[in-house]
Amino acid sequence: MTLHTASWIPWLPALAAVLCGLCCIYRPLRILAAPICILSILAAFVITCCTYSNIVDTDPHATAHVVKLFTWISVAGFSADMAYYLDPLTMIMLIVVTGVGTLVAIYAAGYMAGDRGYARFFAAVSLFIFAMTTLVMADNLLLLYLGWEGVGLCSYLLIGFYYQKPSAVAAAKKAFIVNRIGDLGFALGIMLTYQQFGTIQYAPLFEILNTQSPSTASTAVQVIPFLLMLGAFGKSAQLPLYVWLPDAMEGPTPVSALIHAATMVTAGVYMIARLFPLFELSPYALPTVACVGAATALFAGTIALCQYDIKRIYAYSTISQLGYMFLGLGVLSTTGAMFHLFTHAFFKALLFLTAGSVMHSLAGQLDLRHMSGMRRKMPVTCWLMFAGCLALAGFPFTAGFYSKDTILADTLAKGLNEHNRLYILLAVVGLVTAFLTAFYTFRLWFRVFMGPTKYDMGDEHAHAHAAQEAHPPGHSDITVEHHHDAHEVNWLMNAPLVVLATGALLAGYLAHNWLPELVLNSSATPAHLGAQHAAEHQTTLFGIDLHLAMMIISSGIAVLGIATAAYYHWLNRPAADRVAAQWPSLVRILANKYYVDEFNNRVIVEPLRLLGYLCFVFDRLVIDGIVNLVGFIPSLFGLAIRPTQRGNLQGYGLGMATGTAVLVLIVLVAYA
Amino acid sequence: MTIDPASLLPLLVLIPLLGALALAILPNRSPVAARGLAMLWSLLTLTASLVLAYQACQPLAHDAPTTYLDTGQLFFQSALPWIDAFGLQFAFGIDAISLWLILLSTALTPLVILGSVSAVNDRVKEFHVWLLLLEAAMIGTFVASDLIFFYICFEFTLIPLYFLIGIFGSTQRLKAAKVFFLYTFTGSMLTFAGVLYVAWFNAAHTGVWSFSIAQLVQAAQAMSAQQQTFVLLALLAGFAVKVPLFPVHTWLPLAHTEAPTAGSVILAGVLLKLGTYGLLRFALPMTPIATVAFAPYIGAFAVAGILYTALICWVQKDVKKLIAYSSVSHLGFCVLGMFALNDIGASGAVMYMINHGLSTGALFLCIGMIYERFHTREMARMGGLARVIPIWAFFMVFFCLASVGLPGLNGFVGEFLTLLGAFNSHDVLGIGYAAVAGLGMILAAIYILYMVGKIVFGPVLIPQHDTHDDPHPTPAASSHPHVPDLNAREIITLTPLAVGCLLLGLFPTPLLQTLEAPIATLLRPTGLVLADRADELTNADTTTLIVIDPTDRWDNRHPQQLVPPSSHEPPKPQPLFH
Repeated sequence: MTLHTASWIPWLPALAAVLCGLCCIYRPLRILAAPICILSILAAFVITCCTYSNIVDTDPHATAHVVKLFTWISVAGFSADMAYYLDPLTMIMLIVVTGVGTLVAIYAAGYMAGDRGYARFFAAVSLFIFAMTTLVMADNLLLLYLGWEGVGLCSYLLIGFYYQKPSAVAAAKKAFIVNRIGDLGFALGIMLTYQQFGTIQYAPLFEILNTQSPSTASTAVQVIPFLLMLGAFGKSAQLPLYVWLPDAMEGPTPVSALIHAATMVTAGVYMIARLFPLFELSPYALPTVACVGAATALFAGTIALCQYDIKRIYAYSTISQLGYMFLGLGVLSTTGAMFHLFTHAFFKALLFLTAGSVMHSLAGQLDLRHMSGMRRKMPVTCWLMFAGCLALAGFPFTAGFYSKDTILADTLAKGLNEHNRLYILLAVVGLVTAFLTAFYTFRLWFRVFMGPTKYDMGDEHAHAHAAQEAHPPGHSDITVEHHHDAHEVNWLMNAPLVVLATGALLAGYLAHNWLPELVLNSSATPAHLGAQHAAEHQTTLFGIDLHLAMMIISSGIAVLGIATAAYYHWLNRPAADRVAAQWPSLVRILANKYYVDEFNNRVIVEPLRLLGYLCFVFDRLVIDGIVNLVGFIPSLFGLAIRPTQRGNLQGYGLGMATGTAVLVLIVLVAYA
Repeated sequence: MTIDPASLLPLLVLIPLLGALALAILPNRSPVAARGLAMLWSLLTLTASLVLAYQACQPLAHDAPTTYLDTGQLFFQSALPWIDAFGLQFAFGIDAISLWLILLSTALTPLVILGSVSAVNDRVKEFHVWLLLLEAAMIGTFVASDLIFFYICFEFTLIPLYFLIGIFGSTQRLKAAKVFFLYTFTGSMLTFAGVLYVAWFNAAHTGVWSFSIAQLVQAAQAMSAQQQTFVLLALLAGFAVKVPLFPVHTWLPLAHTEAPTAGSVILAGVLLKLGTYGLLRFALPMTPIATVAFAPYIGAFAVAGILYTALICWVQKDVKKLIAYSSVSHLGFCVLGMFALNDIGASGAVMYMINHGLSTGALFLCIGMIYERFHTREMARMGGLARVIPIWAFFMVFFCLASVGLPGLNGFVGEFLTLLGAFNSHDVLGIGYAAVAGLGMILAAIYILYMVGKIVFGPVLIPQHDTHDDPHPTPAASSHPHVPDLNAREIITLTPLAVGCLLLGLFPTPLLQTLEAPIATLLRPTGLVLADRADELTNADTTTLIVIDPTDRWDNRHPQQLVPPSSHEPPKPQPLFH
């Protein structure tokens, strides 16, 4: 198999998107949409694995391969090809995207069954896989941008999947627009890159970058990372552009798992890792990334403490975990960041999908306060989610434990080696967040699955649309009859979850040697890693090796967090309410997410819209007014000379004579 | 009988003209016959333009690697004598830029005829006569290589559109037609004065009257900076109104809202491009010194227009008005790219003209289809149409995405290249222009998604009282069986446009490559001025402020003999067929 086969990876799902689109039109074909979508993503996954063995196994230190498909844009020296850049970093991302993509698509085949937009859903998911694989395989920045906006579009379409719900439409719009803000920075970054280096293709770009160092790079070059960073913060939901992600939970749950947890939101992390040589040219870029990452991790972690909507808790947790990844990038631990990206894809997809199962079984109920003791009703889901929760909480030897520990240890090592208090502080922030993570994760799990069995069914469901379609709205009670009591979901949906759960538990251990090596063989290798690595191994904390020390500390923190959650949310729930009652204002602020949405609305959206009205009024009154005034002047003339046009024959005669006289005068003067 | 490619150009103007004539004297009053005949003639024109494009791709000589398109000069030149005393000719000649715009016009016209089948039921024959006349005039502007011929066609486009708006428009159509006509006519009168001034200047220096574009471009370049400034301002007066560039854009929303769908599509698709085409073809090469001096200000107006009208779009209640204002915003990008005065920006600008023609034209068609069904365009009165008419919703969202500049569709290529051009034009515009104009990308997403969220998505809301099909108000929103989705004719109307958007988004390179040579030709004069200025700056390096020196003359720096056209190989009148 040649590497050219790899160019099928994005295009098979693209073809599937077209086919699913056709299924949308012709009703009887709708049932085919899911198999088409699943098969295309599965095929992409198989090709990925074959390409992987071609690239990595044959030569572990291979450099990147470029597969060119066709010329996309080429004009006046500027060129961007439809070409794919295959290196180990690409392969990691592809495995995540197509692997998790396949599993989620299989789950969705069950979850979305009976929905009115069944084919539309799979068309959008296929299109998403096309865009996402293009994003990670792109050989130049503009193609990356194509994938970048493409996943944004699919995200828009899928968040707004239940488009008759105004909240879903608003959330979709918000996601697209907030992403566009980041994308503007990204686009300007691409333009500046082209201006400074004359190319936006990775391979030539990296060659030029290798000859530069922070001391020789011009100011303009040092600005590029900050512009690109803006794009990454938008797509990966970091401060201050994170606001769209919690609302994105309006989409169907498989979408939240695939797009808003496992793949799309990690695009920012991937982009920075990919362009790491560029980020290293600015002495301030990576520290900024680290600080924003840590701040986001803590910020989102605190909000997650007081939320009651299961999916929103996971959404804030995703923001928080992405913050860890950015922290990792910022402290030159690209291996840690990519490792965490990899493991996070497994356990967060698992968590969302199990949350989806709960929602599915409870007719759309997502509120923690309305469910309890579900383990008797849904035992499989209960323990699957438990595996995911352990990994997210960083329980020893689960996937999240290894990757989170790598990032935190590298942060602390950087702080200790460079005697830089900032990084030590960031490491402490990371540890505090780890405690919060363990606490809120298990708060959710204990609330949902432990304690007395008691629940209220939700009032809406994915199926409600289908049901409404079938029955006139007056008889909507039929919808309720449709759904019997809470129940375990079928194995079509649980089977992929078992795979994910295995990954959530074991991926960390299995990948902790394999994955860092891959990352270090790609463009994500920090330039000065050799020196740092050497120093790091000498760094000790309390007399033991730093990594080991960090493992012990974070295990302790995870267990502490879980234990606290167990006490307050399983064994002694009233105690939790008493604690909350002691700080009512704090709880209110957290429950309202620090009022950021309200702030943005007041300070940005409303004034901007007011400005729009002002412009419109200005346009109509002033600009159009001036035009009308100018247009009025000729009619004034007309008014003035109207008396001469009354059909009075003498008047016309006089006019004619005067006119002739004037003409004669002009001719005489001209020829005089 | 073989057709000489050069004779195709007069034919392209003649075919729709003859078609209009044939239709006008058609005794049969049946609308079907009128539609069929008009369709036939427009398809004939389309075929002729495709043959023309095919011929243009042929090598210059046998086995030569270069094609006509690569020369960067006008090709297929021919001329018919007109008024010899003033050197007036019906002179024809095209380059790649005009060829693409001709293709745009000839492709849009049959689609518009197809799209208006159910919209126009009254005075059908007349409607199509005006439409074919309009097509002839549009093609005329693009094939003309004589300035007066160009100008006549340019002005003549007003008349058919005046009647299309005035007869077939909405309630305020008479006012709209009048405002549209007077506004653009006043602007172009000033342009005419500028053209005459250049012609007089040329005649005074060479002793021979000529209106050949090549000759006048050469003549105008010999003017002093001050004279060039006058000429540039005169050209701007006509072309900027046509574009329309902020702040002379206010005629457009009214004209668009009141025009019938066909008028809006042609107006947005082609007629606005006459303005940008005029600027590119005349202003840039004729008045290089003045253009370089004024480009930052024109760029500033373009950027201001992008943001200002984008904000206005966001508060519109009438969906057609929203798209109309968005045209102003979009064409701001086009002008910005053009006045970046570099090849990337100018290629982007031409690409933008074509893209905007496709995607905004298609949006007007989509809105026309909605208007036919609901007889309203008020966003507050409709919603959730994705549920009711899903195929329409698909096309609508698709074209909105093209319009908003989603990579992979056509709009992105033009938008990115114009911004990149502005970004990289260090000595004319610069990073600031691109960064501020880039905010337009965000605002575009805001207003387009605002519109999509209102009418395509959201709870189903069908306008009640105005529906003709349904005089009795329907009780519940969910029972809406009589709103038909797009029929085959409407799908056939929209599909070519959608395919065009996708193809130009994924494979823009063939188009962009053909533009390189003519754009290099058009930008050469300004390029020389910029190079001179760069030299002066490096030599003097005392001030970065450029002051226009009234005595600074182009020909002082680049001494060249201004020669009468006779010694310049005048295009000989050629027989059409041989």
